[in-house]
Amino acid sequence: MNGWTGQFLRVNLTTKTYKKEPFSEEFARKWIGGRGFAAKILFDELAPGIDPLGPDNKFIVALGPIAGIPAPNTGKAVVAGKSPSTGGYGDGNLGTRVAEQLRKAGYDVLIVEGRAAAPTMLYIEDDKVEFLPAEAVWGKGTYETNDWIYAKYGKGVGVLNIGQAGENLIRYAVVRSLEGRAGGRTGMGAVMGSKLLKAVVVKGTRPIPQADPAGMKKVGYDDLREVNRIDKKTGWSIQSTNGVLAWCNEVAALPVRNFRKTHHPDAWKCDGERLNNARIATYGCPNCTMRCGITIRDEEGRESELDYENVGLLGPNLEIFDLPPIGSLNYMCDDYGVDTMSGGCVLSFYADAVDHGAAPGDLRFGDSAGFKKLLTSIALRQGEIGDLLAEGSLRAARKFGHGSVDYAMQVKGLEVAAYNCKFIPGMALAFGVSPIGAHHKESWVITFELKQSVRESYGPEKAKKVIELQRIRGGLFESIVACRFPWIENGWSLENYPKYFKLVSGLDWTLDDFWTVADRVYAMIKLFWLREYPGADRKQDYPPAVWFDPTNVDTEGPIAGKHLEYDKYDVLLQHYYDLRGYDRRGIPTRATLERLGLAEEGRAAERFGSLT
Amino acid sequence: MKITVKLIGPFVQLLGFGEKEMDVPADTTVEGLVALVGVDRSRPRIVTRNGRAAAPGEGLAAGDRIAISPIYSGG
Ligand code: SF4
Repeated sequence: MNGWTGQFLRVNLTTKTYKKEPFSEEFARKWIGGRGFAAKILFDELAPGIDPLGPDNKFIVALGPIAGIPAPNTGKAVVAGKSPSTGGYGDGNLGTRVAEQLRKAGYDVLIVEGRAAAPTMLYIEDDKVEFLPAEAVWGKGTYETNDWIYAKYGKGVGVLNIGQAGENLIRYAVVRSLEGRAGGRTGMGAVMGSKLLKAVVVKGTRPIPQADPAGMKKVGYDDLREVNRIDKKTGWSIQSTNGVLAWCNEVAALPVRNFRKTHHPDAWKCDGERLNNARIATYGCPNCTMRCGITIRDEEGRESELDYENVGLLGPNLEIFDLPPIGSLNYMCDDYGVDTMSGGCVLSFYADAVDHGAAPGDLRFGDSAGFKKLLTSIALRQGEIGDLLAEGSLRAARKFGHGSVDYAMQVKGLEVAAYNCKFIPGMALAFGVSPIGAHHKESWVITFELKQSVRESYGPEKAKKVIELQRIRGGLFESIVACRFPWIENGWSLENYPKYFKLVSGLDWTLDDFWTVADRVYAMIKLFWLREYPGADRKQDYPPAVWFDPTNVDTEGPIAGKHLEYDKYDVLLQHYYDLRGYDRRGIPTRATLERLGLAEEGRAAERFGSLT
Repeated sequence: MKITVKLIGPFVQLLGFGEKEMDVPADTTVEGLVALVGVDRSRPRIVTRNGRAAAPGEGLAAGDRIAISPIYSGG
């Protein structure tokens, strides 16, 4: 089967056994790969209600047809499982050599089941799978673990590993790879930790089956050069993702002080220009000629890789406007294996709760030393507060009470990314209806809202745009498995992706074919959530309450006096459901499931929750 | 009249400044300012005036803060 290896590798840590499982071409065409494969496998194989941190959960690494093949930005893998932070479907992607190595070893998907008896490193080399002791690095950070692995196998292998956060089951622990990459902010590091799986190391030596390998090689390398040329011309990677910080500050979309403020006069001190000036090195994922990873020296003199999300949420969001202390918090997150985004939101939530008298303590915004101390106590689950905050902002808020749930900046238990939607209705919707909790990777509409629509609108054009972007970002890129940045930031045409797909698979698909699969995958994920939360209604697709709070408005600046409005948001949400063919609870209707080829999955879900 | 111009992202390196005060004729429009600053007209951009998206033909007023940015798509 060209385009896919046609095999899963299923590994059981409890029994220390493994087997190769073929999958059909029909399965491949229906789900493409990556998130599509992961969602279908998890729906079929996980019993609803299982503990995401128990042995019944599965840790999945899923690749797509162009993953790992030299072409623009294909060095990415999807990691997935039932999310410990949300209790729903969870996934994330990260740059890693695993993309290429696992496919060369002969697999498109790795499914890890059970729980090891002792800390384990999984070593996969083509047909061989070894269950190796990992006690030597249990309790160590991701940098030391990575070095330990490289010392054994060299730098060419694919590595996924966790730090202390994953071991200690911090619900927003990530999986780490290479020197600066992380993914799976829905707690996939904790899923690995719950299985005592410290690391996965992969080496493959076989060719990846392709319809036209010579054609793909030529087009792939030509396009890598072309994307590099375009990037040099646009200059995007000079400031990389952090270029957007100054813009968010201008348009009142920056998270400041746990999202209570939307802009700050000192924000320029940590903007893209300052980050570029402080740059000591540049890093990138495999098969990338845009290389967006900028490192700086942190306060302790370590090399810390920063992007917009971690600067925004560990910086202005904590009222810290200096790059070195932001770099320190970021380095600590990376080394412990804590998600920088949820980590930043949890730290800011706690400072806000202290400020509002809802939580004990004396931590204040701006106190970088205090935040570092707290971050350590979270990652190591030290003390009552550290242990509680390790559960995430929603669970902590429920414990603190005093209305603090309203300013726990999360949707469905996953903390929001660094875009303050106090008055950006469409982006608030994008967070609300993201299939994994508040993540920006599915859809990002702020420029559209300001330029092609009007900020005040709650009209159907915004719901339509959110769906269009979900199909591209959360559908195409997460299933074919490639980084979306060449398209989103440098204008690389989407038409290139069916072209690559044809060269590897021989299938002549249009983008519309990909949108159908994307819609199917989103509906599949909705059914996963329905089984877990059969009583949930449309309120689960609402953003944090503080954005609707008239007492929380800006008193000056572009959105002075403005806030989201419940009635209008609800209308916008209904536009989204109508366009998607979902019912008033946000569940795909039977007719929609039928249209997407999910009638059987619908019947399976109906045993747990009703369909209309 | 005096206004403040803020460049964002790669425009900083391409045009050699980050933020400055400029003295411009009273009838200057948004697009007029973009040309005055030297932004390549073929470059996609979003211009904000005091934090709100501004149309190309919009006239400027003394004290305005104008930000010129590439069209970001949010990482
Ligand atoms: S643009 Fe950045 S995130 Fe995307 S592949 Fe390149 S280095 Fe990785």
